[in-house]
Amino acid sequence: MRSSDVVVVGGGVIGCAIAYYSAKRGLRVTLVDQPKRGRATSASAGGLWPVGESMGLGCGVIFSRAQAAVGTLPGAVSHPGQLPTCFFDFAIRSNAMFPALSEELRAGSGIDIEWERTTLLFIMYDEGDLAFARSLRELCPGGRDLMGWLTPEELAEAEPAVTREARGALVFHGDDQVNPYRLADAFRSAARKLGASVLSHTEVTGVRVQSGRVTAAELTSGLLPCDLVVNAAGAWAPQIGRMVGSEIPVRPVRGQILGTESLPKLLSACISTNDCYLMQKGHGEVIIGSTTEEVGFEVGVTPSAMKSLSAGGIRAVPSLEHVRVKRAWSGLRPGTPDELPILGPIEGVEGYLNACGHFRTGILNAPLTGLLIAELACGERPSFPIEPFLLRRFVAERDGPPTVTKRNGPTSLFRETRR
Amino acid sequence: MRPPRPLIIVGGGKAGMAAAIETARAGLDSTLIDESPRLDGHDARTLRADFDRGEHLRQEFREVADRVELRLGTSVLGISGEREVLWAGGGASGTLRAEQLVLATGKYDRPIPFPGWTLPGVMTAGGVQALLETKRLPPGRRALLAGTGLHLLRLAHRLLASGVEIVSVLEAGTPQWAAGAFPRDWGFLHDASESREVLSRAGIPVLFGHTVFAAYGRDGVGSVSYGPVDPGDWRPQKERAKTVEADLLVVGFGFVSNTELSVLAGCRQQYLHQAGGWVPVRDRLMQTTVPGVSAVGVGAGIAGDLVAEEEGRIAGITAAERAGAMTAKGAADRRAGPLARLRSLAEVCAALDEVSRIRPGLLDLADPDTLMCPCEKVRLGEVQQALCEGACDLQAVKLLTRLGMGVCQGRSCGPSTGMFLCRAIGRTPEEVGRINPRPPVRPVTLGVLARLGGVTSSMLADPQDAADGDAS
Repeated sequence: MRSSDVVVVGGGVIGCAIAYYSAKRGLRVTLVDQPKRGRATSASAGGLWPVGESMGLGCGVIFSRAQAAVGTLPGAVSHPGQLPTCFFDFAIRSNAMFPALSEELRAGSGIDIEWERTTLLFIMYDEGDLAFARSLRELCPGGRDLMGWLTPEELAEAEPAVTREARGALVFHGDDQVNPYRLADAFRSAARKLGASVLSHTEVTGVRVQSGRVTAAELTSGLLPCDLVVNAAGAWAPQIGRMVGSEIPVRPVRGQILGTESLPKLLSACISTNDCYLMQKGHGEVIIGSTTEEVGFEVGVTPSAMKSLSAGGIRAVPSLEHVRVKRAWSGLRPGTPDELPILGPIEGVEGYLNACGHFRTGILNAPLTGLLIAELACGERPSFPIEPFLLRRFVAERDGPPTVTKRNGPTSLFRETRR
Repeated sequence: MRPPRPLIIVGGGKAGMAAAIETARAGLDSTLIDESPRLDGHDARTLRADFDRGEHLRQEFREVADRVELRLGTSVLGISGEREVLWAGGGASGTLRAEQLVLATGKYDRPIPFPGWTLPGVMTAGGVQALLETKRLPPGRRALLAGTGLHLLRLAHRLLASGVEIVSVLEAGTPQWAAGAFPRDWGFLHDASESREVLSRAGIPVLFGHTVFAAYGRDGVGSVSYGPVDPGDWRPQKERAKTVEADLLVVGFGFVSNTELSVLAGCRQQYLHQAGGWVPVRDRLMQTTVPGVSAVGVGAGIAGDLVAEEEGRIAGITAAERAGAMTAKGAADRRAGPLARLRSLAEVCAALDEVSRIRPGLLDLADPDTLMCPCEKVRLGEVQQALCEGACDLQAVKLLTRLGMGVCQGRSCGPSTGMFLCRAIGRTPEEVGRINPRPPVRPVTLGVLARLGGVTSSMLADPQDAADGDAS
C-alpha cells in the first residue's frame, strides 16, 4: 500500500474534518472507516450551540433534570452547571468558522451543508426555569450580548408555534444549525478532491510502533505505512488507543432522537426546554432529542424515550400532537469524564494524536478540531491552545487524587435506564 | 406489574391464525395482534377467492377463540429489549411483554421504478385489490396490467368482472405454468389458469415476455408505453416500444416480505432472491436466531398461503412445547403432519419461486430522471452520483442522498436500489446491505406516543415502578 503522512481512523464528522484540513495542508491523507451501528454523526441533530451547550442546555439540561429526578445531583443544584471557559472558547471559535466553511465546502465539494442562522431559544415554563435563565444571563462567560430575553408576547410573535404557556425565552445569538450528515459528506468529498484517499469498510486492526514511533497502521486490507495515526474513532476510540498502549477514558453514551414527517415551516429558531430540544431541518422534518444513557454499545430505541421525547416536543410545540413520527433512532456519543474532548499527542508515543471524546458537540467542534490536528500533523504549534484537552489531564487521576475539576453535575453517575 | 404474555402473535393472516390455533389446542393462551379490523386480512389485502378458501382455518379458530386474546385494529410499531412489543391503535399506545413471539407480518408489493411510476393512476396490484374489496369501485376505465406472477391474471379477471376495459396483461416472464392445467389443491395456481381462460374468451391478450416501459400524463396516467424484454434477465428492448392509451396501470412485480419487526427484534437476516430478498434466518421449526422469536408465512419469505398455514402450525406447536404446555414427544407427533405437508408443498414453492423471481434487467427501465425514492424525491441520477462519490452500500447512499429517509423507511426504494447497486458496482446483496428499519414501523402521531401506557416518562426512573399500562 502507498504510504501516507496521516492515517485518520474513523469516518465520522471529526475524522472527515481532519482529513479535509490535512489534505488542504498538502499532506497525504488516508481516511480509514469501518461504518458501525450507532455512529454519533448519523444520529446527530446538527445543533451548533456553543453558548447553549457551554451553559448545559441541549441534551445537557435533559440529562441534568433526569439526574435530579433520581437524586444524584447535589442538593442545592436543580439545573446543570457550565462547562469550563476553555470549552466555551473552543466552541465559540469553532462555531465562528462555519460561515466561511459553508462557502468553502460548497466550492470544494459541491455539497450544501445547510448551515442556517437560527438562534437557540431556551423556553421557560415556570419560576424555576425563569430563575435558571436569569442566572445564566449573569454567568455567561461571553458576556450578556450573546443573549437576549423574550417576553411571552415577543416569543409568541417570533415563534407562533411555541406554546402560549411559555413564560418567555432566553435567546442565544449565534447558536445555529447545520445538516450533520452533509457536513461529514462535504468534508470527506472535499478531502478526496484534494487528494485524500478514503478506505471505507476497512477496519484498523493494529498500529505498528517502533522505538516509540508510529510506523504503520495495520488494516484488514493490509499494512499502511505512515508517519502519523489520528484516533478519531468516536465511541470506539479506546480500542484504537489500546493499540498504542494508551487507555482513553471514552465510553458510549446513547442518545435517542425522533424525527417527524416533513412539515411546512414551523420553527425559525432551535428550541431547548427542560424536557427536550427541537429543531426543524432543511427538509422540513422536526428533530426532537434526546436521551443521555449509559447502556454500552446498545443502539436500540426504547418506548420510554419515545414517550418522553414526544411529550416534551408537544409541550413545547402543541401542534406537533397530530404530526406523524417518521422514525426514532439512536447514536453513541463519545463521552468523557469531564465532558471535554481529548485532543493532541500522548506521552511515550510519537506519531499518534487523539481527536476523540467530543461527546455532545462533535458537529460543532469538528472544524476547529480538524484545523488544529492538521496543524499538529504539520509539526506546527496549534493556533488555539489544546493543553486543557490533552489526555494527560486524566493521568494524575489514576496515580493520585483527581485533578480534573468536575462540573456540579457529576457525570460519572449516569444511570442505566434499561432493566 | 402484569407478568409477560405467554405468546404474542403479530399478524392475523393464515400463518398467524394457524399459530394461534395450535397453541390454543395445546392449552397455551396467546395474544393475536393485527392491523385490520377483521381477521385474515379480508378488508384490504385478499381477493374474495382466497378469503373463501381460508374458511376452514377461521372455523378452527372459532373453536379455540376463548384462549386467544384478539387485538384487532392495532399496529405494532416496534420490538425492543426482551420481546417488548410497542403497539398503537384506537388513539392509544402501549407496550406488552411476551415470553415468546411469533411474527407473521405478511408482505407488500415489490416496487419497480420506471419513468412515470409515481403518477396517479399507476397502482400496485395490492392497492387495486384493496380498492376492489373495500370501495367496490373500479379504479379506472381502461387498464393495462404489467408485472409477473399468477396473481396478475386473477386481478385482470377481477377487474374485467367489475367493468374495466383491459387493454392487455403484460407478463415479463415466460413461465412453464402457462403451458398446462394445475391440480385443484394447488389453490390459486388453478385459479390463475381459469382466469386465463376467461381473459382469452374475452379477447384480452396476455403478452408473455413483455412489460411496461413508461407511464405518461400530466395529472395522471394518459398513456403507457410497453414492449418486449430479453428472455434471460428481462432487460427492456426499448427500441421496440409501443404506446397505448390507458388511465389505469396496475403493476405487480411480486412481493417483498415485511421484515421490519424481525429486524428490530434482532433476528439475523439473509438474502434469498427466490424468497423475495431479505428474510429472517430460521430453523425447520420456524425459530429465528433470537430465542423465543419465530417467524412464519410470507413475512418470512414469499411462498403461498398453504405454506404459510403449515409454518404457522409448526411455530404454534413449537411455542407450546417451549412453554411447557406439550411434551417433546407430543409436540413432535403433532408437528409431523404439518412438516410432511410442508415437504410436499416444496414443489409448489419451487413453482412460485420461479414465478416471483425478479430479474435484474428490469432495473434498466429507470432513467436518470426516474424517482427511486418517492418519499424524499431522490432520482436515479442522484444515486449514480452517490456511487461516483464512493458510496458502495445502501446506508452510504442513504446518507448522501436521503434515499430511504422518508416516512416509508425504505420500503419503496430499498429493494430496487439494493438490486441496482449490486448490478452497478458488482457487489453482493449482503455487501450492499439494507436500509435499517427504525421504530415506529407503522404510522403513529407524536400525540399517541406521548400517551404511551406502561412506561414512565422520566428517562431514569425505575421502570419497575411503572404500571403495566394494559388496556385490558
